[in-house]
Amino acid sequence: MEKFLYIALFAPLVSSLFAALFTTTKKKTFVGIIASLLIFTAFASSSVLLAHILNNGAPIHVEMMTWMATGDLYIPFGFVVDQVSVTMMMVVTLVSTIVHIYSIGYMDHDKSFNRFFAWLSAFVFSMMILVMSDNYAGLFIGWEGVGLCSWGLIGFWFHKESATWAANEAFIMNRIADLGMLIGIFLVYWNTGTLQYDGAFEAFKTLDTATLTWIGIFLFIGAMGKSAQFPLHTWLADAMEGPTPVSALIHAATMVTAGVYLVIRSNELYDLIPHVGLFIASLGAFVALFAASMALVNRDMKRIIAYSTLSQLGYMFAAAGLGAYWVALFHLMAHAFFKALLFLGAGNVMHAMHDELDPFKMGGLKKVMKGTFIMMTLASVALAGIFPLAGFFSKDAILEAAFVEHHYIIYSVLLFTAGLTAFYSFRLVALIFHGEERYKLFGIHPHEAYKFMLVAMSPLLILAIIAGAMKGTYYEMVISVLPETEYHIHSHLVYWVMTIGTQLFVIGAVVYAYKKYADWKSVPDGSSDVEQSFMYKLLYNQYYIPYAYEEYIVKPYREISEIFWTKVDMKVVDATVDGIAGIIYGTGEKTRDMQSGNLSTMLKWMVAGTVALLSLAVVFGLAARNSDEIVAILSALGVM
Amino acid sequence: MLDHILSILIFFPALAAIFGFMIQKDAIRAYGVSVAAIEFGLSLWLWFAFDGNVSGMQFMENLPLVPSFGINYILGVDGISLFIIVLAAFFTMIGIASLTDTPNEKNMIITLLFLQMTMVGVFAALDAIVFYVFWELSLVPMLYIIGAWGGPLRIYASVKFFLYTFAGSLVMLVGMLFMAYFYYQATGVWSFAILDWYRLILPENLQLWLFAAFFVGFAIKVPMFPFHTWLPYAHGQAPTIGSVILAAILLKMGTYAFIRFSLPLFPDASAFFMVPIAIIAIIMIIYTAMVAYAQKDVKQVVAYSSISHMGVIILGTFALNVEGISGSIFLMIAHGVVSGALFLLVGVIYDRRHTKMMDQFGGIAHVMPRYATIFGIMLMASVGMPLTINFVGEFLSLLGFYQQSHILTLLAGTAIIVGAIYMLAAYKKLFFGEVTKEENKNLKDVNKRELLALIPLSIITIWLGIYPKPVLEPINNSVEAVVQLMHNKATSDLAKERIPNLVEEVVVITKTSVQEVH
Amino acid sequence: MEIGLNHYLVLSTILFAIGLVGVMKRKNLLLLFFATEILLNSVNIAFAAISHYYGDLTGQMFAFFVIAIAASEVAVGLGLLIVWFKRHGNIDLDSMTSMRG
Repeated sequence: MEKFLYIALFAPLVSSLFAALFTTTKKKTFVGIIASLLIFTAFASSSVLLAHILNNGAPIHVEMMTWMATGDLYIPFGFVVDQVSVTMMMVVTLVSTIVHIYSIGYMDHDKSFNRFFAWLSAFVFSMMILVMSDNYAGLFIGWEGVGLCSWGLIGFWFHKESATWAANEAFIMNRIADLGMLIGIFLVYWNTGTLQYDGAFEAFKTLDTATLTWIGIFLFIGAMGKSAQFPLHTWLADAMEGPTPVSALIHAATMVTAGVYLVIRSNELYDLIPHVGLFIASLGAFVALFAASMALVNRDMKRIIAYSTLSQLGYMFAAAGLGAYWVALFHLMAHAFFKALLFLGAGNVMHAMHDELDPFKMGGLKKVMKGTFIMMTLASVALAGIFPLAGFFSKDAILEAAFVEHHYIIYSVLLFTAGLTAFYSFRLVALIFHGEERYKLFGIHPHEAYKFMLVAMSPLLILAIIAGAMKGTYYEMVISVLPETEYHIHSHLVYWVMTIGTQLFVIGAVVYAYKKYADWKSVPDGSSDVEQSFMYKLLYNQYYIPYAYEEYIVKPYREISEIFWTKVDMKVVDATVDGIAGIIYGTGEKTRDMQSGNLSTMLKWMVAGTVALLSLAVVFGLAARNSDEIVAILSALGVM
Repeated sequence: MLDHILSILIFFPALAAIFGFMIQKDAIRAYGVSVAAIEFGLSLWLWFAFDGNVSGMQFMENLPLVPSFGINYILGVDGISLFIIVLAAFFTMIGIASLTDTPNEKNMIITLLFLQMTMVGVFAALDAIVFYVFWELSLVPMLYIIGAWGGPLRIYASVKFFLYTFAGSLVMLVGMLFMAYFYYQATGVWSFAILDWYRLILPENLQLWLFAAFFVGFAIKVPMFPFHTWLPYAHGQAPTIGSVILAAILLKMGTYAFIRFSLPLFPDASAFFMVPIAIIAIIMIIYTAMVAYAQKDVKQVVAYSSISHMGVIILGTFALNVEGISGSIFLMIAHGVVSGALFLLVGVIYDRRHTKMMDQFGGIAHVMPRYATIFGIMLMASVGMPLTINFVGEFLSLLGFYQQSHILTLLAGTAIIVGAIYMLAAYKKLFFGEVTKEENKNLKDVNKRELLALIPLSIITIWLGIYPKPVLEPINNSVEAVVQLMHNKATSDLAKERIPNLVEEVVVITKTSVQEVH
Repeated sequence: MEIGLNHYLVLSTILFAIGLVGVMKRKNLLLLFFATEILLNSVNIAFAAISHYYGDLTGQMFAFFVIAIAASEVAVGLGLLIVWFKRHGNIDLDSMTSMRG
């Protein structure tokens, strides 16, 4: 089985290195094909591992080699395949295989085709390290690795200023969170003496709550960055500058869920500190609502989906924070399927619309893009959580968990957000695919994507539909690692009322969205009453948070840097040094008159110096001889 | 031959340099490269013959110079100095091999070979006077390199570099003389041998003064805030090769000397000054990173980034535990490799465009993709990406210091944020965007000679990032010995508390003013 | 009143002071030599007096040394002085400032 573990881990690396060989040559389709095949190999190996885990349940644990060892610190490259990591491996490899194949079509006309695959496969490799590692340091390798690849891929079209800006923003914002993560790792090490999960979890049981709370908080700060939780969320929407397959893979299905994975992986820690868990859940619920509200009015197709991702990440954190780790992981999985599908569909639409992103400029695309239309609609149904698609099962479980745990505020926020989710998803679908063909105004002739791209997407479609049915099997599998928390609402009546009520609420939102947007006529120009209202402006400008960051953090940082350089470093520190040197030079310059070359003047100086030295010698000699008397006099005067 | 390998390593390049005067101009590069390659080969042999499991000094040589004053020619290496010597040999080699259009190439190569003698001498010396001689001698070739091949402000920069560091080391010399005098008072014989000094336990108030005296010399060399302003000038004016050697090796003398002298000689003072020095280190990290962000000249960005990274090294050193000190030594090597490579990379575009101003570039990833890739690797190493060489050092340094102070480490940890900010901003200005300047449209990508230097550096960067063990293990063994020595020698409660005891048995040392450890 | 050591030392000091003033004040190189001779001889007096006082001949020996050295110094000095005079036509101290810093 170890063989398969290594194949799953290293096939993406091989793929990346192979593609990297061709980065400077012109586009070669076979690079994409071979990369896809290698990623598929990783997927196949992961499937074998999944089958193994499903059959006998014994986790596979290997230690490849030592990484760092000094003092008491020992960090190996160790990998573990257990129920949790194998779930993540399946999600990662499956979605990446599909995205790789899809990208062969999507990046068809890009001159940096080969480079794209190098980065994309490198990302998969990092993600595999992240999920497979058996210690926090290894997790951190993957953690930073995915950050790096995300940087490379967001800024993939580096000739665009906005893309490189977004790439740097994402990297730096993640770094802020990574510092928290790093501190968390340090805390774990100095308190438990190890960074291995099993060793650390064992030691956590003996630590006091205050320490554990700090560990939990710092690790969660790391998770907040990667999963773009408030207030480190702005990078995710800007990250949409990257190519759409990247958004599908990294910024929807896999990387952004790394934070959730971290919390799930550390479940034994968070179980000991339920108050931190409650904070996580509250923040999750807040972000769910917060992000959904921004998605309501946005006019950028990819950003809407990005906000919806953010919102769904909030759901996952809400579940994980409440201790329903398996539910969070299940939602993570289901979400990966339908959200990747949604993004890839959006990619098709973008191609058809020549990179136009404003859904108000589309409309009526269902005639020309039947396949994409069906897929995106079904993905939206799944996202909205309508029976019997995947989203229903996972989201319903989260709501139940919140309800059963008596966190009614979280429950109602999440419930309300479910309605918003349905609304904005179908607003998007309605604007893109229904109504008048507004794109004609802009002289665009849309066309459906390549067949093979649609075929590549179909596994996601199937999974988005049937993933809910796997809930039982999945539950049986993961409870051997994750806490066995089943949520049953005691009364059947309450359960049915809740479920049906939720469904009706969500369907109502869908219908409302259709009614409002399905036969939209014109492209809004910002003059209507709604667009003038305060709420609209607030939401459209993302609560002015990016503006505030720019104005109150980025700009001052730049200005302070400038002041530090020109004023402090040059005018104070360096000027002091030069000043001291200047004084010495100046003294020399002044005293060179002594060396007039005139013998008699020089002799005068010599005599003066001799006299001065002689008198000093006499004074000190006398003082030394009469030191006792001097001390007596001074002490009498009260000086000493 | 192995018995005298250190002497050979020191004086072979110097002899070769003298013979170099007789070599014809057009053959000098081949001569220089082969001498440096032999030297590098010898240093690798040293590494190969070095026993990584031994914590003490190896390949010791002892030759009396002024026996009545205890000044002897003593050499030796341990895990702390070994790799810096190898690195010095390596950088001299690739530095000479990748020299580009230098006027007076012959003088440059001869100077570099002399410089190499002094560098190896500093790290191999185990006698304070020999150490001091090499320490000061190393200034001369560097003064010449900056002053003769530098930019428009070269005279100012070289004089500033020389006088500043020289003034600092004079204070250090006074400290050394006093140490020897103290040793004489305690034992009745003179000795400048560092290993003899290690056996002294100094009273705490004396330690504080001596620590301060040594500190001035080392801090200026490192350079620590606020003694750092010579460095940007030196880097700004020095030719590429000068900057490479300066950043990769010469700066490490300061941090190396902290570990060789300050920590084991003055454990109580080290523990006492730990917090103030950590604060200086944090200022170095954050402040210089911000200054680096404001720079317009890409070479200055790298120069200030060096100071920022040296801050992390200092922090790791003063963690006073095995993790931190090992990390800081590893980071010295890592920073040597990475900053050396970055200066070489800056040299590449400077050779092509004769400007280092970032606003003159933009979009050159389009025309120089290989260059952009290598720069990208070094950029990521510089910001401390895991699986690159820098991460191991930074991680261990910060991890080590975390044991001493949580909040200070949190502040110092911002290194990973501010470091990313200036490096990414610089990379964006250089490589991203459209090519706007006409001159940049036809820039040639890196040529073979440049790749000769850059590829090995990239390989080391990643290799030691993934598998640091061959380097980290010998370092670790030597550092454990140092930490144990410090713990045993420490007299104050504060130092006992801050410096961990590695062996379980408790060694009791009575608090007397002067005594020897046996 | 008997002439004692102190008298000689006072004489020596007075002579030394005269010589010192001469050294500082004179602008003529030749007179400067005279002044140095006075300085040296004042010291010789002190040497001889102290030597006699202690009954130790070392001091007088030193005085002879000083006389010998003074003689040779004058010989060399006067030679240089003549060369200077031949070159420049004067021996004024103020004109000799080529050692100006």
